[in-house]
Amino acid sequence: MTSSRTASAVALAAGVMLAVPGTGPAQTRGVTIRGRVELPRAAPNSERRPSAGDLGDGPARDVPERRRAVVYFETAPRGAFEDREGGRASMDQRHETFVPHLLAITVGTTVDFPNNDRTYHNVFSLSKPRRFDLGRYAAGRSKSVRFDRPGIVRVFCDIHSHMNAFILVFTHRFYSVADTDGRYQIDHVPPGTYTLVAWVEGAIRETRSVQVTPESRGVEIDFPTR
Amino acid sequence: MPRPRRIGGLFAVCSLLVVAGVDAQVLPQETVSLIGGRLTLGGEVTATVAPDDDGQFNTTDYDRSALQLLRFGVTASFRPVERLAFVTELRAEGDTGGGPWTALPFAAYVRVRPWKDRNFDIQAGRIPPVFGAAGRRIYATDNVLIGYPLAWQYLTVLRTDAVPANAEELIRARDTGAARWYSVGSPSYAAGVPLATAFRYDTGVEVRIGGEQQRLSWASALTAGTISSPGARSENGGPQFSTRLATRPVTGMIVGVSFADGQFFSDDVATSTYRTPYAAADPYAMPAAATTDGRYHQTSWGVDAEYSIGHFLARAELVTARWRLPIVGPESIREPLTSAGLAVEGRYRVWPGITLGARIDRLGFGKIDSVYGRQAWDAPVTRFEGGVAWAATRNLIVRSSVQYDTRTRGGVRSATLPALQATLWF
Repeated sequence: MTSSRTASAVALAAGVMLAVPGTGPAQTRGVTIRGRVELPRAAPNSERRPSAGDLGDGPARDVPERRRAVVYFETAPRGAFEDREGGRASMDQRHETFVPHLLAITVGTTVDFPNNDRTYHNVFSLSKPRRFDLGRYAAGRSKSVRFDRPGIVRVFCDIHSHMNAFILVFTHRFYSVADTDGRYQIDHVPPGTYTLVAWVEGAIRETRSVQVTPESRGVEIDFPTR
Repeated sequence: MPRPRRIGGLFAVCSLLVVAGVDAQVLPQETVSLIGGRLTLGGEVTATVAPDDDGQFNTTDYDRSALQLLRFGVTASFRPVERLAFVTELRAEGDTGGGPWTALPFAAYVRVRPWKDRNFDIQAGRIPPVFGAAGRRIYATDNVLIGYPLAWQYLTVLRTDAVPANAEELIRARDTGAARWYSVGSPSYAAGVPLATAFRYDTGVEVRIGGEQQRLSWASALTAGTISSPGARSENGGPQFSTRLATRPVTGMIVGVSFADGQFFSDDVATSTYRTPYAAADPYAMPAAATTDGRYHQTSWGVDAEYSIGHFLARAELVTARWRLPIVGPESIREPLTSAGLAVEGRYRVWPGITLGARIDRLGFGKIDSVYGRQAWDAPVTRFEGGVAWAATRNLIVRSSVQYDTRTRGGVRSATLPALQATLWF
């Protein structure tokens, strides 16, 4: 898993250096690449870590279904980096769960971390692309972090050890978080040859080469389970 | 400390660092679960190295130093149906100073939640203490410092299986080192007990009403032993009652008040009274079970508080204890023995993964009449500990601390003890 994660992080960052030129009339309009990532049968675990020191059960939790996969371009078209905007995104904390569990953003984005539980949370990350620790804050409050470097950021709560999430920071906009069925869609792709990467729960599942021509009306790429 | 042992301890810490450095990324970031989430697992490996504690300031009731602890622990929770869970924590503990290993089920209990939507839980078996706060903390991952609060670890001169025949014998025990001998009860040398122990759970049944997120919660337990000497079975025929009421007036603040009362001295004391040379020679010897009020209990009160905000967390805990000794002769100690321990600690996260912490701690003892005058029945102890914790990865925490202990009596009256600890958990 170490090598997969490393490779994944490198891939996220490599987009800047490996940009390929887009040509033809489809460059402005673009083509849609869509498909499905076959997700592992076993759902990700959201159970609390067992603690012998508890005097009873923890509060009941309604854990939302998680999104688990991202499909992205390993190399992006030239010009993909010019329209980079530092937008805003949000990762909620409710029922002792980060929602969404998986967030994909572009470099320069600021992510809000509102606390909607009745207890404290302490969001932190020790990941190299962005180390941060927001400290403890109560329900109704929110703190923010700006992500200026590409890579994979693992997010945790210092108080509730079962809480964890991923933030994938891209240098371009050619990515899509698959829905809970694994379906994804990347729009406005200019002609060119690209490497498409399916990333599932912390590891690169598969890479596929895809060619988009000016005549392409749409490209369908599926990623079966290996 | 003999050099090979110290090298062995350092080797253990370094090994953990290397293993963690290589494998930190493959350690599970989520809870390990099997059988569709019905079985969940957690684990911890801790290695601590420190110079020998010649003054026995950190000796625990397993006769090893808390600053030289080696621990392997696995916690499992099996939930066959929604409202029933079996929880166990298995621990193997050793000592980088070379002491013996112990392996035992630290916790093993069944938890029942009769009503799904009500915060009402019943736990039975070897259960966590309801008294106080420090005894339930998963210490390796919830503390910056390596040492324990004095009230929860420091061994007093008081034993459960032997009692001094008079005040002078008890007061002299302050100067006799870790192991004490008394003329009534068990004839062996043994260490005393702390006010409450953080190293053993008791056996019994407990109920809790209210949960972690509610304004008020209350828990009570009936157990075989006492908070200072938990046991798998009652050694004196008397159960202990303990209770704690906790309130959370604002988010981040918890204040708890605890009470515990139970038979402290074992039946061995009563049955062996007339076998000891001192009591056999005493024509006025009385049955050990008799006291001024017919009880030989430990009665404890506790107050604990925690407040946290942002990167700061503060904790304070007061534990008091009052023991009644069996009357074994005309010179027996008739006054209750009292003690109180107060610990105040704070920690501050200065950088992601780096936390500073400090604790000041005082354990005091009440005075009793003796031929030496009115004196404290054990030597008061003061401890200051400061340290830093570094989360090298999320699952690997490295701590370094320095502890300064002083006490008014004993062969070693002060000690400065640096310590280094690595904890790998999942």
